[in-house]
Amino acid sequence: MYIRDLRCISPQRTFDGEGLFAEGPIVHSGSQYWAEEPSYAGVIPNGLLRRMGKSVRLATGAAMPLLTEHAVDGIIIGSTDGGMEDCHRFLNQIIEYNEGTLTPTTFVQGSPSAVAGGLALMAKNPGYNNTHANKGISFENGLMDAWLLMREGAAKRMMVGCVEEISPAQFRIETLAGFIKKDEVRADGLYLSKTPGAVNGEGAAMFVVQDVPEDAVAEIVDFDVISFPTMGDLLAKATQLLKRNGLAYSDVDGVMMGLSGDAGSDPVYHSFADAVLPGAGRLSFKNIFGESPSASAFATWYVAQLLSGREPVPMTVLRQAVKPLRTILIHNHYQGKQHGFVLMRGMGN
Amino acid sequence: MGRVVVTGLGVVSALGNGVADNLHNLRAGRTGIGKAIHLDSSFTERFLFGEVHLSNAELRTATGLRDTRGLTRTELLAISAFNEAVGDAAFTKEDLSDFDTALVSATTVGGMVETEAIHGDANTHTEPSEFVNCYRSGAHTLELARMFGIRGYTDTINTACSSSANAIMLGARLIRAGRARRAIVGGVDSLSRYTVNGFNALQIFSDEMIRPFDEHRKGLNLGEGAAYLVLEREEDAEGKRTYGEVRGYGNANDAYHPSSMSPDAVGVRGAISGALQTAGLAPSDIDHINAHGTGTQNNDYTELLGLSRIFGQVPPFVSTKSFTGHTLAAAGAMEAVFSLLSIAHGEIYPSLNFATPIADFGIAPQTVYRSGAELRHVLSNSFGFGGNCSSLIFSKV
Repeated sequence: MYIRDLRCISPQRTFDGEGLFAEGPIVHSGSQYWAEEPSYAGVIPNGLLRRMGKSVRLATGAAMPLLTEHAVDGIIIGSTDGGMEDCHRFLNQIIEYNEGTLTPTTFVQGSPSAVAGGLALMAKNPGYNNTHANKGISFENGLMDAWLLMREGAAKRMMVGCVEEISPAQFRIETLAGFIKKDEVRADGLYLSKTPGAVNGEGAAMFVVQDVPEDAVAEIVDFDVISFPTMGDLLAKATQLLKRNGLAYSDVDGVMMGLSGDAGSDPVYHSFADAVLPGAGRLSFKNIFGESPSASAFATWYVAQLLSGREPVPMTVLRQAVKPLRTILIHNHYQGKQHGFVLMRGMGN
Repeated sequence: MGRVVVTGLGVVSALGNGVADNLHNLRAGRTGIGKAIHLDSSFTERFLFGEVHLSNAELRTATGLRDTRGLTRTELLAISAFNEAVGDAAFTKEDLSDFDTALVSATTVGGMVETEAIHGDANTHTEPSEFVNCYRSGAHTLELARMFGIRGYTDTINTACSSSANAIMLGARLIRAGRARRAIVGGVDSLSRYTVNGFNALQIFSDEMIRPFDEHRKGLNLGEGAAYLVLEREEDAEGKRTYGEVRGYGNANDAYHPSSMSPDAVGVRGAISGALQTAGLAPSDIDHINAHGTGTQNNDYTELLGLSRIFGQVPPFVSTKSFTGHTLAAAGAMEAVFSLLSIAHGEIYPSLNFATPIADFGIAPQTVYRSGAELRHVLSNSFGFGGNCSSLIFSKV
């Protein structure tokens, strides 16, 4: 499966595809990396923009330019939280008005499926439409869905993407649960942090994927997921993934690690790489994008940029690769419970 | 690759905990819809619900688990139906934890059923409640994976009311593509203040028993429950009892409105045509339809329009939501279970509370229980907000 085109709104200047690399990264600090939103002028009509919740706005902003330019056979979205802010607004009304007569807008907009449904509506796309709301592997789930459709001959070209927003309510819940850093850490020192918890990011990364290599930006070779793995399980999964694509660990030039700054769950990335990818370059992305259930979508956007010739942002490089970065394995986990792999390759090899 | 067959079923609904109780009540034409007693909402005074007749405490006991702290009603319902399904398929521990065993589940409300806890955790609590990790959609799937040692592919789908139809579809496709040898697929939703208030705000509740496909229908009754199916490759299921095969599936978007269906039934027709196409069947091959049939003005009209356009003469159709209420993300899987029971036992369960055909169509659902029916192919429809339309075809093996 190949990435034909892509768009990203993130805590970095990524919307035009240039800013992050030309101007360098925004070095965030604290535990909330807010999205750098574009003006949306010419992308979303003003009247619609005002009524949109943040997730819908981020997703629409990233997806509509692609849907305008490319005809796709359907839309697949990964979003764990969807319009969480709207969702909590509705929840608060229930409590505050003791179940009075409420307006349904926030209820309808608060569902994760409102994003894919809304895009189908705006793009007038009556094709395949699905929403994966599976916490930290929703993006890998979306890739699988699209890959299956192409393999079945049911689609030639699909939109696959992810969106997550930082909502005050969910942020508070995650903080209470111990998943968010309580101390103020600057992004360039994130991986040196000895404290528990990650930093929260948001945004939308959208991809037009197709079954042929023509005009593609990068190849998504394969992907897999596993829950609650032992190190043995992780190694077995990764080996299986490479093997079924006729590859060995020595073919992997770099590993994109999902390090989040969480002292408890970060070491597994290096243990994994030490075990099977000792010679590969090591890269990271959450010190510029932050952590979210859809983090691997941002990693995929970033890796696609690197595979199409851009230099990695220095603060994301942990260990220089020996070989040019042609094949990159993304290894990402969410709160230690769900691990995902996405294997990507540049178009020139 | 041979066929994808169904070797296990599990269900908990207003009709009972387990396939046997559900089957018994379907045959007897006895609805599970009535006054809700476990749901903590003022709407229990105004509307009827398809509530599972077990309290959380009773559900905890029924699951036989020692440690049930932090498990929401959503998770308890899911565990009940999941347990029954994998037991029915005689899965071993090894089967469950094989890399080639997938789990695809669905929910809309998830852990948000714990309204007070989530509101407290999001606003006022200084210490997390026991449910703090349960609110998001994928939480119940993760809990099932942890509890049953699932190490294969997992996914959680949320396409509103068509969620678990999409979960079944995805499971079958994973097996066909060789990305899994077996898949446990289904969905769960529990009655919650969140959903009840949402549907009330949309003004689509009936204040009486739902009357699917009736001219004088007034809206839907909300229900709850969970249903799971075990899918296997036919070659692996040799010697096992099978209920039928997952023969066809179609997914399309109505692309018309966030919460109502298009006057041309674009999505409905797209989903059904897609299912017929993947099944390699003609409309005339379908012997029975388990309709979405929510009892709302909009759904029943649009669904009948779509069915009439595709089938001309519509095969015997029912809405089993007249027994269970609309169980949202569980509905597709629950109705898949009922469709497979229809095939396996050669019977059609009645559609309840119907009196007058919708004027524009003049057609009636099957209203009396029928046995001795040779059902080769059964269509099951699920349509959701956001224009999400999905159809499945189950066939006799």
